[in-house]
Amino acid sequence: MRELLRRLQYLLQRSRRDDELADEMAFHREMAERDGGMPLGNTLRLREESRDAWGLVWLDHLGQDLRYTFRAMRSSPGFTTTAVLVLSIGIGATVAAFSAFNVVALRPLPVTNPDTILRFQRQAPTRSATEIPYDATLFYRDQSRTLSAVLAQTSSRLSLDGSDQAATTSFVTANFFEQLGGRAAVGRVFRVGDQGTTDAPVVVLGYGFWASQFGSDPSVVGRSVRLGGKVVTIIGVAAREFSGLSSGNAPAFWAVLDEHDASRRGVTMWGRLAPGASVQMVEDELSSLAAQLRTLHPTSENTLWEGERLIGSPAGYGEVGSTEMLALVVALVLLIFAVACGNLGSLLLARGAARQREMALRKAIGAGPGRLLRQLLTESFVLAMMGCVGGLVLGSTVLKGIMVWTEAPSWLDPTPDWRVVVFAVTIGVVAAVIFGLAPALHLARRTRATPRGRTFLIGMQVASSCVLLIIAGLLGRALDRAISADPGFEYEQVIVIEPSLIEQGYTADRARVYLQDLRARLVGMAGVENVSVTSSPPLGGTKVMGSLQVDGRTLDVYINQVDQHYLSTMTIPLLRGRHLQADDVTGIVVSESLASRYWPGRDALGQSFGIGEETFTVLGVAGNARSLALGDPDSVELYRLAPAADATSLAMVVRTSTAPDLLYSSVVTAANGVDSNFKPRVVLLRDRFAERVKLAERSAVAVSLLGVIALAVACLGVVGLVAYAVAQRTKEIGIRLSLGAQPRHILGGLSRQFVGTLMGGLVVGVCGAAGVAQLLRRELYGVSTIDPLAYLTAIVIFVVAVCVAGMWPARRALRVDPLVALRTD
Amino acid sequence: MQKNDMPSGALVLLVLRVLRSGPLHGYAIAQRIHTLSSDALRVEEGSLYPALQKILMKGWVTATWGTSETGRKVRFYKLTKDGLKQLDAEAEQYERLTKAIQTVMRTA
Repeated sequence: MRELLRRLQYLLQRSRRDDELADEMAFHREMAERDGGMPLGNTLRLREESRDAWGLVWLDHLGQDLRYTFRAMRSSPGFTTTAVLVLSIGIGATVAAFSAFNVVALRPLPVTNPDTILRFQRQAPTRSATEIPYDATLFYRDQSRTLSAVLAQTSSRLSLDGSDQAATTSFVTANFFEQLGGRAAVGRVFRVGDQGTTDAPVVVLGYGFWASQFGSDPSVVGRSVRLGGKVVTIIGVAAREFSGLSSGNAPAFWAVLDEHDASRRGVTMWGRLAPGASVQMVEDELSSLAAQLRTLHPTSENTLWEGERLIGSPAGYGEVGSTEMLALVVALVLLIFAVACGNLGSLLLARGAARQREMALRKAIGAGPGRLLRQLLTESFVLAMMGCVGGLVLGSTVLKGIMVWTEAPSWLDPTPDWRVVVFAVTIGVVAAVIFGLAPALHLARRTRATPRGRTFLIGMQVASSCVLLIIAGLLGRALDRAISADPGFEYEQVIVIEPSLIEQGYTADRARVYLQDLRARLVGMAGVENVSVTSSPPLGGTKVMGSLQVDGRTLDVYINQVDQHYLSTMTIPLLRGRHLQADDVTGIVVSESLASRYWPGRDALGQSFGIGEETFTVLGVAGNARSLALGDPDSVELYRLAPAADATSLAMVVRTSTAPDLLYSSVVTAANGVDSNFKPRVVLLRDRFAERVKLAERSAVAVSLLGVIALAVACLGVVGLVAYAVAQRTKEIGIRLSLGAQPRHILGGLSRQFVGTLMGGLVVGVCGAAGVAQLLRRELYGVSTIDPLAYLTAIVIFVVAVCVAGMWPARRALRVDPLVALRTD
Repeated sequence: MQKNDMPSGALVLLVLRVLRSGPLHGYAIAQRIHTLSSDALRVEEGSLYPALQKILMKGWVTATWGTSETGRKVRFYKLTKDGLKQLDAEAEQYERLTKAIQTVMRTA
């Protein structure tokens, strides 16, 4: 320890100590001379050796290397800018992707102790559900010993007096804010003890809603408003960063769940692990409690299922969406990174070759290969750091832009935190070291850089850009198909009404009455052709699904619970058999795709089909209508009559004979008139369709952009490569020209070097694209993963771009004056 | 008398030993070794000063300013407590080593 201090002291006083030593040695020499002829040594070397004794040589060398690096970089600005730019692009893309992932999934939600929060879902052998009946959650809360707290939430759209928009309201348990550490920006938030049914129910405003609707006026606290037909008092505003446990936007209002609510409303349930409890313990306890509850109330309507278990999953972090999308994004980003690294490698190799003289000179003066290697690695490292900074800036800016473009929730904060910075630095170092190492080794040891290294790098760039372009092409075709293809049902003249009756606390009987009332109002309206109900409105978010295993592939079966008018309302053609009638409780109509896949070669009519514990008979076969999964070629549908108990989850679809905008306001009035307490959501189906297409459009644009960037970088690489080859062979070209060679022969010779690599890279690229496209299958709207048009277009664009890029330096070569070329060294 | 090269590592030992009797400056150390070994060991200044720097870094000696016999201001090296400990340890080690070598030479 003290040794370290002494060394530090030496470091700080170095020049003075050095002078003292010189003085001492001079004295020694004087005395030696006086006493008679002791041999003199080399002063400078002795001083150096003495300095070495302090063990700080490496520091000196580092300083020298750094200074040299900066000087070298300043003297070749073209190379430095290109290298840093290329690295920034590569690192930037990777950082943007990782940052997005970090914000959504790695960074915990802004709640206390996110690691102990679990979300619960119901699971039985034949079915599963994401929501739990509210009274069951109360039972679990009271009886559970492995959970220290139980939270629940459900949402509604309620009418708000003074606004024609519906207000999203989240009903939560009174302990919600407390458990999650949600603070109030103004006023207070819910406390345990706040009830939902007292004569003056209380609500908390969401921050965004407070800003937009009340102009951030702090005097709203204490004010009363009419929400959902009831007078409520505002007791506070939630903090800006609080949005509960969901990744979406915060609601307009937070209200308290009514414990005495008689409806069998389903809620999302979370629990916090008690100290010492494990997930398995909790699941077991809750499942046995569920069984207990079932025996206690065997006759209730929404009875718990037999053998039902509750499965817990961590809820403290955001969700990432499907693993396939994730894999796809990772693949695409890695490709950009590969292109950038390949480019960097070529640049460094080319530069290395140009510096052989400098290296030889240094070696002649006495530098060892280790020293040279260290120098080159220092250069790579400095380059890496500059690229990291550039990449961080670029990546964060791009991510911010993307978040604005996709209207992401505002509480997501894209500024890079320590995880992102560490990640950026790591990949920067990895890129620069790996791709700088090989050239550095070659240079330091004077081995000849084999063309194999070069060709590999260029091949890598070619392949990666190819994959990106092809994927972009596929997405473009998918977009085209999405816009023009027939989804199997007519969507331009349909209006969808979603009353979400279960959120309003309706029972099944009340719901039936409501729907009948609404239907009566609509049927009588001029311009309305047909009215029907369904549990899963087209292009909506609610789905009832099952899965089938056919020929080793999993089919998603979308189960539409409808009435007898549905097929005609949605203009889905009936191909064989008959429509469902009002009393066909065990009949289903299947889609053509389901019929042909599940009963190949046979007539589906009359066949049996099991859903859960019930068996159905096929009464009819309808045309395919992927109303819930537009692009997915593996989805099939069937239609059955909605059971009476599910009346609360039905939505209504209205077919109009003219343009739906004309009838929109009348439909809204009719819908709002049935129950004045809330306003159902009313949308034009074609608007929903446009939104879906927008998503496909955006993905196509994004990947095309990536593809173009990759292509540009790859072309840069090609230009560099060809220019380098030309520079190397200037003399040879000059001689050949002066001997009378035709320019095209020379060009031919030059290009022959690269054609092999290009071909190889293209082949790898095409295969890679086919592989990556598999991940995209469900989003491609039926475009084949090896769609020839997309592939061909991409390949042609690529080849043309590369040829042009390659031609440009080659043409300059041909204009070389033979005399000048011959004299060039 | 033959001029013998110093076995490496022995220089440090000798310097420390020489300094045990009192602080000396660099030249005096070289002289002392030369004299005490009856001219057998000659210390090149090329090896002395780097060794002195190393000993200084390790904290076995400290350097102070003093005046030489000729009236010049010069640095004197003084043994520290750590240096004394190091000297004893190294001396013991050296003795063991030489004894072992001698045993092998006699009996092998």
